[in-house]
Amino acid sequence: MGGILVVAEHLRGNLSAQTGEVIGLARELKAAVGGPLVVAVIAADPVRFHAELALDGVDEVLAVEAGEHFDPAVYEEAAHRLALEMKPRLVMLGHTVNGMGFGPALAVRLGGSFVSDAFGVEAEGGRLLALRGGYGNKVLTKIDVSASCVTTLMLRGGSAKPPPAGSAPLRIVPLDLQAAAVRAAEHRDYVDPPPADVDITKAEFILSVGRGIQDEKNIERFRALAERLGATFGCSRPIADSGWLPKAHQVGLSGKVAQNCKLYIALGISGAVQHLHGMKHVETIVAVNTDRNAPIYNVATYGATVDLFELADALEREFN
Amino acid sequence: MQTRELFSQFSPFAFGMFYLIAIAAMAAFVVGLAQHILRYRRGRPAGVPVDWRGGLRLMLDDVVTHRTLSRRDPYAGAAHRLIFFGFATLFVGTSTITLEYDIVKPLTGQTFWKGWFYLGFSLVMDIAGVMLVAGLVMMIARRAWFGLAKLDYVRRYRGDTAPLPRATAWKVEDWVFLVTLLLIALSGFLQEAVRLIVDRPPLSDLSPVGAALGGLLSGLGLDAAGAAAVRRANWWIHGVLALSFIAGVAWTKGKHMVAAFGSLAVRDSRSVARLPAVAEGDPVGVTRMDDFSWRDLLHFDACTKCGRCHDACPARNSNYPLSPRDVILDLRLLAQSGDGAADPHHVIPPETLWACLSCGACAEICPVGIEQPVKILKMRRALVDKGEMDPTLRGVLETVANVGNSFGEPARKRGAWTRELEFPVKDARKEPVEALWFVGDFASFDPRSQTISRLVARLFNAGGLDFGILFDGERTAGNDIRRVGEEGLFEALSAHNGAQMAQSAFDWIVTTDPHSLNTLRNEYGEAVKGRKVLHYTNVLADWLESGRLKVTKPLGRRVTYHDPCHLGRLNKEYDAPRRVLRAIGCELVEMPRSRDNSFCCGAGGGRIWTPDPPGVEKPSHGRMHEAAALGNIDIFVTCCPKDLTMFEDARKASGHEGDFLVADIAELVAEAVELRAIPANYLPELANRIAESLAEKVTARVVPELIQALAAQSGRLLVAPPVLPAAEPTDIAAEPAVVDAVPAASGEWSVAPVAPAILADYDRPAKTGLRILVAVKHVGKLGDEFRFRPDGLDVVPEDLDYQLNEFDETAIEAALQLVEGLGEGEVVAVTIGSEEAEPSLRKALAKGAHRGVRVWSDAVSPADPIAVAALLAGVASLEAADLVLTGVQSSDFANGATAAALGGILGWPHAAVVVEMQWDGKGRLDITRELEGGVRHRQSLPAPAVLSIQSGANVPRYATMRMIKEARSKPVADAAMEAIGAEATGRRVAAMDRPPVGQAAMLEGSAAEIAARVAAIVREKKGG
Ligand SMILES: Cc1cc2nc3c(=O)[nH]c(=O)nc-3n(C[C@H](O)[C@H](O)[C@H](O)COP(=O)(O)OP(=O)(O)OC[C@H]3O[C@@H](n4cnc5c(N)ncnc54)[C@H](O)[C@@H]3O)c2cc1C
Repeated sequence: MGGILVVAEHLRGNLSAQTGEVIGLARELKAAVGGPLVVAVIAADPVRFHAELALDGVDEVLAVEAGEHFDPAVYEEAAHRLALEMKPRLVMLGHTVNGMGFGPALAVRLGGSFVSDAFGVEAEGGRLLALRGGYGNKVLTKIDVSASCVTTLMLRGGSAKPPPAGSAPLRIVPLDLQAAAVRAAEHRDYVDPPPADVDITKAEFILSVGRGIQDEKNIERFRALAERLGATFGCSRPIADSGWLPKAHQVGLSGKVAQNCKLYIALGISGAVQHLHGMKHVETIVAVNTDRNAPIYNVATYGATVDLFELADALEREFN
Repeated sequence: MQTRELFSQFSPFAFGMFYLIAIAAMAAFVVGLAQHILRYRRGRPAGVPVDWRGGLRLMLDDVVTHRTLSRRDPYAGAAHRLIFFGFATLFVGTSTITLEYDIVKPLTGQTFWKGWFYLGFSLVMDIAGVMLVAGLVMMIARRAWFGLAKLDYVRRYRGDTAPLPRATAWKVEDWVFLVTLLLIALSGFLQEAVRLIVDRPPLSDLSPVGAALGGLLSGLGLDAAGAAAVRRANWWIHGVLALSFIAGVAWTKGKHMVAAFGSLAVRDSRSVARLPAVAEGDPVGVTRMDDFSWRDLLHFDACTKCGRCHDACPARNSNYPLSPRDVILDLRLLAQSGDGAADPHHVIPPETLWACLSCGACAEICPVGIEQPVKILKMRRALVDKGEMDPTLRGVLETVANVGNSFGEPARKRGAWTRELEFPVKDARKEPVEALWFVGDFASFDPRSQTISRLVARLFNAGGLDFGILFDGERTAGNDIRRVGEEGLFEALSAHNGAQMAQSAFDWIVTTDPHSLNTLRNEYGEAVKGRKVLHYTNVLADWLESGRLKVTKPLGRRVTYHDPCHLGRLNKEYDAPRRVLRAIGCELVEMPRSRDNSFCCGAGGGRIWTPDPPGVEKPSHGRMHEAAALGNIDIFVTCCPKDLTMFEDARKASGHEGDFLVADIAELVAEAVELRAIPANYLPELANRIAESLAEKVTARVVPELIQALAAQSGRLLVAPPVLPAAEPTDIAAEPAVVDAVPAASGEWSVAPVAPAILADYDRPAKTGLRILVAVKHVGKLGDEFRFRPDGLDVVPEDLDYQLNEFDETAIEAALQLVEGLGEGEVVAVTIGSEEAEPSLRKALAKGAHRGVRVWSDAVSPADPIAVAALLAGVASLEAADLVLTGVQSSDFANGATAAALGGILGWPHAAVVVEMQWDGKGRLDITRELEGGVRHRQSLPAPAVLSIQSGANVPRYATMRMIKEARSKPVADAAMEAIGAEATGRRVAAMDRPPVGQAAMLEGSAAEIAARVAAIVREKKGG
């Protein structure tokens, strides 16, 4: 009884990078929580992921054979069975699209505590406090999960580092997942985003705009500004959702990650987690937002609380 | 005694024949007239008061002086004057003969058309004939050779290069009209000439033209016999032409001769400034021709196609797809088809309607008093009602409905601009003031305009004006909201502002915003109660002239002044700003288009909220060129916050940055009176002053800010530091049904699956078809300033602004589209929240959900998605729902968990982050989830199911105020919670705090300084 159960995630044969991060935090908490750190992977050929999951600090890798594609009913059922067997103090998974798909359902079947989109856990004096945001990440909240015998915790991407490789053994766990069949999803296919003439992943210098630009009619102006500065033109999700710019310009979790970017200028972007996901690693970030409390400032190198239109005017003059 | 014999040498048959034709012509005229009048009567009420007596007097005045026709086109005015008076005299003359011959003589045997009266009559008629011919020839010349753009019906503004067939027909009609009249006049003279040749009366009947023409014809060899023959034939030609003209009046361009009188007589002196209201029970907008009012229908017929509006329209001038003339003409064609049910939107496309700036330039110059913008606006109302509008505009309307301003700022920040002032500004709701300053959105929130507002406040203060503002009680006045066509929202805004004003004691209203001024003055009615609504330029002009403000430094600048449409044209305030400029020693150089012909900046009619179509030249740019062409202007002066914004932008964008400055008139006045203001950031002195003067209210207002400023420096607020509570949260209400506390870690490991909460049954319709639940949340949003509660568990409630979770809007839309697509089904909006959450539930109903359910229990924290899901599960079970949708996450706590938790509790299939969904209502659901990186995963699920819908899956519809009002009567059930398991509750925040201060190095200084830093960073990174 006790310990931490991590549920791994994978897509089209590739392990999700976030799984390593979740294991990273779990390893840090091991001492405070007590018990083993067990990682479960649910897939058609789960054994394949053994090496990748046997990271330092992991005590055992559990392989559950099921369908290849993510199905919330199956994940929920499998994780539930494993938890019943292992009786862990913490069940951890990534706060990802698939994580959102089954994590909360698992939590309600286990009862106990639940924290989604957590970005850390403080362990002090036997107490466990999960950290998460609130009010659009303008505040930090702490949720006390010490009192529950089990807590389901979904970890925000980028909140921890994957540990180095380790040598945990593999155990194949045969599970009868029939109970999930009535609720099961049927896989159809994956559709990749259409090819586009911008590539956020390759750009070294990006100028992105968010809802702060207010109006579709301002798009052209900022596109021209980006061009003048020699930057690739990026945007936040609402800009793409509204059809003001093609989806290919979107930076963030459900858009593109600015992998090669060295300089990122964010104009009128609040800095929602999902946006930060795509750019917070950039070496130099300049954020312009009239709201001094906007979460974007938590990742920015430079910030300015100036009206972005005034700044655009001035920048246009600078780069004339 | 001298007279002339009518019908000389007529056979009884010819005589009878003529009367038959004449009576038929008159009958045609009367029938036509009656038909038109009957058609007008089918229209709706005018919607504005009609002042018949004043209107008639004004109409006569306009007709006699021909004032409206001569404006900006004296040639056409002169020509029309000749035609009108010539024609009118001939008409009266002919009627006089009829009066004697057909009425007076048969009845009394008396005659008067003889002797000197007859001779004088003949002379007058000859002169009138000459006038008519001269006027017609002038008009013909104008059409044939002047090449006037306004008489060209080709819709170049739409990219056409050839006239439409109907425009060609109009052109033919114009010519036929002129030529027919000319032929009638000329044949009249010919008739006179041949009669004089045959009859040779003494003094040639005092008909100089006839006599001269007769002489000419005789000289050309026409003898008496020939003349008699011509006389017989030409009599019929002249008579039949004249009678056909009469018969055709009602059906041709001639009808303006009647309709224009009517239109002028029912003119609204405040047209466009005051828009017609929608009567209770009437449709909101025009979707059928008989939704137009009788005045509108009359206006269509009054149009003479003179093209003055086409010339004046700033939209047309800037290549927007609109010509007010063509709108009226197209609507007229449809009106004349007589089909009251015809939809005018089939002939006037939406992009035309949205192009209007409602600046009133067209109505101002229309010689016959047509109110083109009013027709456009009524049609816009229908578009808004159906939600057919630009998404940007829709967003603005939603924002205004939510927070009361178009900037999306919380109401409590409306008065924030006053904080930098060194004196307190009174709250007019709390203490009586002489002048209530209605500030308006731009002047309250736009940073550039805020500096003007502060200057004006300082000027008012310097002049000793006792003024106050409504602070967070003020909302957008609604002028532009109304002009966009959102009548319901306008009503709501004016009712709100009216109520705030009713609570306040003041003598008059002042504003810097002409748009607010217009609606307050002309459309607020009862709320303003006959009190004066002044523009700040009125106040400043009086003060500068009376010495209440002293000019110590006359500016001596060469300036030009732009009349704001809503101040000048719509409210006839042309002089006050000019008086101000004169008083401060500026040399005013007028632009060619000034005063009533001022050229709109392009922001009116809500256009500031709508993206411009491609290919237009912004009106504001044209205006900049116009000002630059004056040569050597120092300053382009405005006195409207929107103008300032528009022209500041335009000056730079149109390449006139080096030519002149754009400034608000208050800035010039401040300079001329050498207004000394305490620098806003000079806090120590301000603090001293507070201590000295002990002005209580100042203290009350400034101290919290000082505290905040200090707190910001130390990184923490000066409130009690959040104490981390011991094991148990302190504020769990004792609910009998709640089993206490979850087993501690030390106890046995056990699972406690969450069960649906048990709810008391509530009223709901029997289930007859598909039932879709949509979970909606009332979410709190923090602005850029906030404080924590003393217990450190949450923020201070007042610092939260609440609204419907934006992600839920997408879910509502998805549900509505599903039932609309299937043609059956019920959408039920469910919220878990206290009574305060009702507005968001109502908003969901306004968008189209059929009914609402609200559940609440103090045992539940709205930040706990599991407890929320347990309550939702209770509702879903009672409702026997077929599908439950939620937003992908709520924007406050962003758990992204409600859908899956609910699915888990119910044991239903579920999916998160769904961007597409297809369902026939019976079998499996086809869904597409959007994964990381934009990859889409397509799956199918059995029903019933729970889905969370991702933003961007659709464009949520706009809830018009009408829909919002209707939503008030939609049923909402308050479901009482009877029991909830302990395992479902108890997750609470243990502490709330500011996130660790980010590492960002803040760049300070002016925009230019910051830009220079950013530029340096960019250059370094790129060059390095
Ligand atoms: C599963 C999922 C995936 C998502 N994926 C992405 C993603 O890939 N990328 C992404 O961006 N979002 C994503 N989102 C959405 C995300 O949660 C936010 O809604 C979004 O990022 C907010 O965009 P924004 O910052 O442009 O808008 P807002 O949050 O509305 O912020 C606008 C900001 O502009 C500032 N501002 C306004 N006016 C001015 C001015 N005049 N001058 C300066 N500043 C001004 C305001 O202070 C505000 O901070 C996702 C959400 C979910 C649930």
